[in-house]
Amino acid sequence: MKDIKVVVVDDSPFSIALLRDMLTDNGFDVVGEATCLEETVEVVGKLRPNIVTMDMTIPGTDGIECTKAIHAIDPNINVIIVSSMMDDEIVKKAKKNHACGYIQKPVDPEELTLLINRIMADDELFKELDEVYYKVYKESFMDVFNKLMKTVPKFGEESNSDVELVSRGISVVMGIIGKYSGRMLLDMSYDTAEKLSEFALKRKPKSVEEMLNIMGEICNMVAGNASSVINRKNKLLGLRVAPPSIFYGNSINISKAELDTTTSSVANTEFGEIYVNVGFQRRSGEWMSNI
Amino acid sequence: MDVKYINPFFDAFLNVMPELGIKDIKKGNISLRGKIIESMGVLIIIGIVGDLKGNIIYETTIENAKAIVSKMMMGAPVKELDEMAQSAIEELTNMLTANAATSFSNEGLRIDISPPTLMYGNFKASSNADKTICVEMIIDGLSFRVNVAIEKYK
Repeated sequence: MKDIKVVVVDDSPFSIALLRDMLTDNGFDVVGEATCLEETVEVVGKLRPNIVTMDMTIPGTDGIECTKAIHAIDPNINVIIVSSMMDDEIVKKAKKNHACGYIQKPVDPEELTLLINRIMADDELFKELDEVYYKVYKESFMDVFNKLMKTVPKFGEESNSDVELVSRGISVVMGIIGKYSGRMLLDMSYDTAEKLSEFALKRKPKSVEEMLNIMGEICNMVAGNASSVINRKNKLLGLRVAPPSIFYGNSINISKAELDTTTSSVANTEFGEIYVNVGFQRRSGEWMSNI
Repeated sequence: MDVKYINPFFDAFLNVMPELGIKDIKKGNISLRGKIIESMGVLIIIGIVGDLKGNIIYETTIENAKAIVSKMMMGAPVKELDEMAQSAIEELTNMLTANAATSFSNEGLRIDISPPTLMYGNFKASSNADKTICVEMIIDGLSFRVNVAIEKYK
């Protein structure tokens, strides 16, 4: 594994020395230390470590405030709370503020090493998914479209902004569940869905239900195929899809997704626009601790 | 679709709501619905895979959603179903479904859940199942429905 950079934040020089030795002995690179909020911001901002070990009691502030300050600099820095106190309330607070693990003092070197290694392996895996997912879902969309509609749609510019949106009329939502969970959302106008169905059926759809059914099935193929491609790239991701749910009406507002990564773009097809949005979250259930 | 799949959701309300400071939880009507669900105003959908597969669709009115968020925030007024309120309702459904998942696993059924997607407005939803069981919960007098569309995964 590549060098893992660690910063130790603790108000006690004794604790810093203990942690520094322990981490160095176990092959981690302790690049800096801090004893208060100002130092934390300075050191973390400058050194951009992979991991910060964070004491809970810091004069004039606390470990949670320092964690927030670190995530304001870079939300991808992993903070492990290291504290003599460990009860439900503190652990809950740490989780809520996106710390990724909790270890009680006195620290057991093996426990700390294991925790850091698990966090870093997880980091790599999420990065791997983040780098490929949208490309794979887009390719799968093009492939399914090509096979069914004999044309390949052109995609517009991609966006990572996560905002509330107003549906064009029909929205299909599919939950994606695995090591990381997420969702795929396709959105199109009634007119587009009708034209698509007519082409696929070679006749007009008999009912709205029949048309919705086809949209659900297309969505199912796109998400299913894409998830399989991703699983072949790395079987640890283990993605599976829940059945599609379809929403239709003259006024649908779709909330901002509470996901850690989302990408969307518009496929311009000869039947009309189809908006393709895919996103994943680093599940809070992935809280790492040896409790 | 098996009626016994709804009990974990009853229990979820009884377990989760008091933690959020809401103690008055009653069962309302249970009904069997078809594929199409006419939205009351707000729908939150969570996908399920594992030993069971399908979707859970939570449903309430915009007014009730705002009132429930307000109760979750110890009475702070909630005027709009804004980003913060939407997020709170999503988080509530996430907790309820996660809690139900734990009950299922205690009965030997392992399920995993997707993140919630919330929609509001004037629309209909078509679920994956031909028959959906709709369980109405009355939370402090406010109607909040759970549509359970899950089946044993073959």
